[in-house]
Amino acid sequence: MKPEWKEWAQEAKKQFPRANSALLPLLHRIQRAEGWLSPETLTEVAELLDLSPQYVDSVASFYSLFFKQPVGKRVIHVCVGLSCMLAGSDELMHALEERLKISQGQTTPDGEYTLLEAECLAACDLAPVAQVNLRYRGPIPPEEADRLLTEEVSS
Amino acid sequence: MSQTYYLLRHREVPEIGQIAVYRAHGGYEALRKALSQYQPEELVDLVKRSGLRGRGGAGFPTGVKWGFLPKDGRPRYLVVNSDEAEPGTFKDRELIEHNPHQLIEGMIISSYAIRANEAYIYCRGEFLKGYEELSRAVQEAYQAGFLGENILDSGFSLDIFVYRGAGAYICGEESALLESLEGRRGNPRLKPPFPAVAGLYGMPTIVNNVETIANVPPIVTYGAEWYTSMGTEKSPGLKIMSVSGPVNRPGNYEIPLATPLRQLIEDYAGGLKEGRRLKCIIPGGSSVPLLTPDKLDTPLDYESILQAGSMLGSGGCIVLDESVCIVKASHRLVKFYREESCGKCTPCREGTYWMADVLERLEMGLGTQDDLAILTDVADNINGKCFCPLGDASIGFLVSAINHFRDEFEAHVREGRCPLGAKVYDTANY
Amino acid sequence: MIRLTIDGQEIEVREGTMIADAAARLGIDIPVYCYHEALGPLGACRMCLVQVEKMPKLATACTTAVAEGMVVHTTGPQVDKGRKGVLEFLLINHPLDCPVCDKGGECFLQDYTFRYGPPQGRFQEPKIQKVKDGPISDLILIDQERCVLCQRCVRFMDEYVGEPELLLEGRGVETVVTTVEGRPAQSQFAGNVIDLCPVGALLAAPYHHKARPWNIEREESVCTLCPVGCTTLTTGRDGRIVRVEGRPVVDRNWGWLCDRGRFGFDFATHPSRLVNSRLHGREEAAARTTREIGQWLREVVAQEGGEAIAVVMGGLHTTEEAHQVYRFATEVLGTRRLVVSRDVPGYVPRGLNGTFEDLSAADAVILVGTDPYESAPVLHLRLRERLKNRRAPLTLMGVAPRNLSRSTLPVETLVTHVGQEADVLAAALKEAAGDHPAVAALLSQGAGIARGIDPTQVSQLSRVLREAERLVVVWDGVEPDVEHVLAALAQARQGQTTRVLPTFGPSNWRGFERAGFDARFDALTRVLEDARDGKIRMLILWGADLLKDYPDRRLVEQAYERVEWLLAEGVFVPEGAEHFDAVVPGAAPGEVYGTYVNMEARLQIASPSVNPPGQARPTKSYLTAWAHALGKPFVVDEEWDPYDDASGDLLPEEPLPQDIEAIRAPDLPEGGVELLVSAQVWANGIPSQILEARLEAAQIARISPLDADALGIREVGVIRVESAEGVLELPVRVDEHLTPGRLLVPLGVGALPVNRLRPGVVKVQRLEEVQTP
Ligand SMILES: Cc1cc2nc3c(=O)[nH]c(=O)nc-3n(C[C@H](O)[C@H](O)[C@H](O)COP(=O)(O)O)c2cc1C
Ligand code: SF4
Ligand code: FES
Repeated sequence: MKPEWKEWAQEAKKQFPRANSALLPLLHRIQRAEGWLSPETLTEVAELLDLSPQYVDSVASFYSLFFKQPVGKRVIHVCVGLSCMLAGSDELMHALEERLKISQGQTTPDGEYTLLEAECLAACDLAPVAQVNLRYRGPIPPEEADRLLTEEVSS
Repeated sequence: MSQTYYLLRHREVPEIGQIAVYRAHGGYEALRKALSQYQPEELVDLVKRSGLRGRGGAGFPTGVKWGFLPKDGRPRYLVVNSDEAEPGTFKDRELIEHNPHQLIEGMIISSYAIRANEAYIYCRGEFLKGYEELSRAVQEAYQAGFLGENILDSGFSLDIFVYRGAGAYICGEESALLESLEGRRGNPRLKPPFPAVAGLYGMPTIVNNVETIANVPPIVTYGAEWYTSMGTEKSPGLKIMSVSGPVNRPGNYEIPLATPLRQLIEDYAGGLKEGRRLKCIIPGGSSVPLLTPDKLDTPLDYESILQAGSMLGSGGCIVLDESVCIVKASHRLVKFYREESCGKCTPCREGTYWMADVLERLEMGLGTQDDLAILTDVADNINGKCFCPLGDASIGFLVSAINHFRDEFEAHVREGRCPLGAKVYDTANY
Repeated sequence: MIRLTIDGQEIEVREGTMIADAAARLGIDIPVYCYHEALGPLGACRMCLVQVEKMPKLATACTTAVAEGMVVHTTGPQVDKGRKGVLEFLLINHPLDCPVCDKGGECFLQDYTFRYGPPQGRFQEPKIQKVKDGPISDLILIDQERCVLCQRCVRFMDEYVGEPELLLEGRGVETVVTTVEGRPAQSQFAGNVIDLCPVGALLAAPYHHKARPWNIEREESVCTLCPVGCTTLTTGRDGRIVRVEGRPVVDRNWGWLCDRGRFGFDFATHPSRLVNSRLHGREEAAARTTREIGQWLREVVAQEGGEAIAVVMGGLHTTEEAHQVYRFATEVLGTRRLVVSRDVPGYVPRGLNGTFEDLSAADAVILVGTDPYESAPVLHLRLRERLKNRRAPLTLMGVAPRNLSRSTLPVETLVTHVGQEADVLAAALKEAAGDHPAVAALLSQGAGIARGIDPTQVSQLSRVLREAERLVVVWDGVEPDVEHVLAALAQARQGQTTRVLPTFGPSNWRGFERAGFDARFDALTRVLEDARDGKIRMLILWGADLLKDYPDRRLVEQAYERVEWLLAEGVFVPEGAEHFDAVVPGAAPGEVYGTYVNMEARLQIASPSVNPPGQARPTKSYLTAWAHALGKPFVVDEEWDPYDDASGDLLPEEPLPQDIEAIRAPDLPEGGVELLVSAQVWANGIPSQILEARLEAAQIARISPLDADALGIREVGVIRVESAEGVLELPVRVDEHLTPGRLLVPLGVGALPVNRLRPGVVKVQRLEEVQTP
């Protein structure tokens, strides 16, 4: 357990009038720092918030933005919603798979990129759209797939 | 095309997300007016008279919903639903990213109206920017004295909390949202009791969509009559429609309700791209049945669209042109529901899985004669039998697609391939 | 009350009743998976679809509350199609491996599919693959592919037990039931999920691939491992019991068991089970042993009459067996020295005995000495259920030499010294009703001081004693004076209900009493003293093991040494085998037909599912053979019936005890470590190979963290305990619930012979510290 987590847990609890609401914010914060949520992390979060490890595991596993496996430095979410599909998201995904030599759902061996499908990202006006570490990028026509790998990412 | 903006005012006023700019353009005046000239009940009445209907999808009259709160002295909460994840819908994101104070002002007035001293914004997990903007704007509002104790010396106090989801469409459903807000899995709750009676932490709670609440300040400013002067008697006022697909100007458009669909597509969105021909339109987000081109003149109001065979829903308008394979489009949407089913109830969990598989097989040319009958029957076995509306939402488009484009489905079986030559990527199962 | 019509039949039910329960009352079957009355509505599986007139869609019977004038149809084309659809959905990702599934033939999925399901599958796609035969613990397996995600198991552990060891992981069609990181579930109530699982997803590991429904005997029985007496189904196959399941009884219990009872059934086939007769320590043919015993009996009866023989009843015998022994002893031998084996001195008169219904209706419960979680686990669940009922609040207090509070059951405990419980209760009673003649009589010797106890706590307790409309006391019988306080309390509270649930054993002691034995501790002590003093020539132990159980081991040793003939019948060889002239193998529960009386004074019938092994015999075969040797006729009275028509399955009511015995304030120890004993089902000495590791872990003494620190023990260690009577070496572990200055030793464990010491203050020293990983 990182020493600052205790403080973060306190802050998360204070952020809302009732402590139950602290779990998702704390998981977000720790994931942001650690990249993912390991089993040990989840157990420690349970301890910090006085919850059962079962509860924390169950909640974390429900949400697709909580990573229970390690991910790359850049997590690329390619929207595969209908509007993006109409604009070529399948081809965009395909181009990225070829370029990174991984399938969607995987992380490059060097730990740089993780390529994930996203359901409609509520940015259909930017189709085909993607997020890099949850920052919107779009429209990205398939032939410009490289931009997702090189453009500056803000944290 | 020239347009007057109310909710999308940020398009005219750069930097309106900054409180100073917002105020310089009349921001928080509606709040001042509401607090100084209205009793809470009068505001509920005002919203009732305006005829404002919920913009989250169901179109339930907002003032009526507010009136459901029991008068038993328990604390009440306002929760704003900013989980926008209905495919084809992207209006709330624009509102919170660009004009957060409009929503906050609406929340303060609404909270005052329903006598809530705590209000929450449940922000979709993917909306990192929107979340940051809202959090910043809330801080600004506190500093300006619009939040906290005794707002504008009215004796009314309010705290706003911004909460971030973590990737789950079902958390847009109001009771699942409340579960998530209480730090749990986003499984919908058994109703009754409805949130208005027992919502967040068991207290009476009003859940409203971002756009719904963003409508409140202009209604206070311009009055109920202004609002009812637009649209129809049953569907008054303004609606933001999100238009996407192969049109020249995809984007959000703020229209008076009852504007014809044709006008939205052809004028506002600039019509279909060169060389494309309209196949069909999903007028209200992925959960509603499609409309064929002959329905283009349908006015965009709740009643007319219902009559035309679909729903206004969230206002996410997806345009499909003739190059789109209807089977592939159906597969994509059903797959969305399969991914997003919470898994609690059987028909939704298993039915969406089954339908997605059959559609994938069909699209790959591996379909059989029975598949259409199976799809229709599986859809019927889902219909009306799920725990929450997500199950029904998963079949809306599919059933209409089979009804209107049966030929194209059958051609996939007959020809053993997609007649439009669409490719299927990500065929993990085959 | 609400009136409605279901399938043309009218019924009136309470407001808030779900359609499913109303239909069940009419005997109409509505299929359900996720719904369980004890867990409340969930509405997840959608199996229970019914048609309600004027509702646009089918409704789920488990979540739809009845309404006045409602008209419900549980069949019809719409309902049938709905059910068929749901079943088809449940089967698409199901492996359809019924032929190799333990649940085959006892499975709701199979049954419902047969009755309501589609004739054949239409699903051609690949199925989702999940874990098969994965462990939930060493005792429970999960097959995630067969799981229908009804959540019964998860909700039971989380909401009902309060030990949330199972969880739903993932979302949508990928959701699975599992434990955190595959860590084994530890809860002693985990086994119930096997019964709760409506399909073959959760399985008993010891029963895995053991039998099929057509080659088993599945009989209604009763668990005898603690005085709760849970109702069970035992499954016998090829002469062995291979499974125990909970058996719900309508309006009485949900069929919960603790894992001790569920998996501890193999004591009857344990290697140490006695299956051959022993004569003077050596195995001997049954016929020869019988002849010898007959001769001894003849000799004693002829020389000194039957009164020179005493019989001690114990163990796991049925009421009927006890009655046969009683008749044999009184009519054939001619003795009235018939007592019950006891390990604690307390007694509860029938007139005070309460029932579980009293518990459900109670507005206050006081735990005296006992922690039901350890001594009567399913009673703990009943208390939790009672506590969770929000409509009727419950005050839960404890008076005991240790803190009885648990995270699953908060108990405001008055922590006393050992032997001080009666006095503390008396102090509260004094404050509540000091002028009542019964209380005055109780206090006439100066009791009711409650030295060292926080007076506000005493006042709080006295308020409960005074104000509770329906009070239930749960008592472990360790401090005998409590009986007199309870008698006075009941009198002082005349008009209000006062009921007692005893958690002490042997589990069927009240049945032995019903059969004619004297169950009071003093009677047993008198027999032992008489034996020591040479007034008894023959001692017959029927299932009893006095060296292990009786609190004063010295007295038992003296008695054993002094009597001329020492005989025992039992399932195991009693301790001190060298003293016994003959030991004969008896039948165990599950091998005989009969009744057991539980802590409610309720008779419950058990049917055998196997025969006794080897030369083990039911009680009556020994008795008839011995009578024959004595030349006296003895025909077992098959007509004798422990039931009394007026009281149903409860033993006949008796009036409240009238004479109140005065109690004295105890002399409290100054410093030192107080020895404290407690009954614990996980330690109780009845062996089980299936549970061996868990029993071993429980068979250990406990000290407080502070004392452990002082002794330099971190988690587990060995200590030397010394009292006036002797010295003992005990393994100990740290127990957060213990107050400093207390040493807790479980009763009935051969390896922890606490009855070598005198109760009271002991000296404690560390011998070694055992490192745990
Ligand atoms: C599966 C599902 C998803 C939903 N998603 C959203 C959403 O993203 N945003 C939203 O405002 N309402 C959503 N709703 C509707 C909400 O349940 C609720 O009706 C709405 O927030 C009420 O606000 P309104 O009255 O202002 O429309 C969803 C409903 C369902 C069944
Ligand atoms: S394992 Fe059994 S009890 Fe648990 S959810 Fe699955 S089917 Fe239900
Ligand atoms: S039993 Fe009714 S939904 Fe499961």
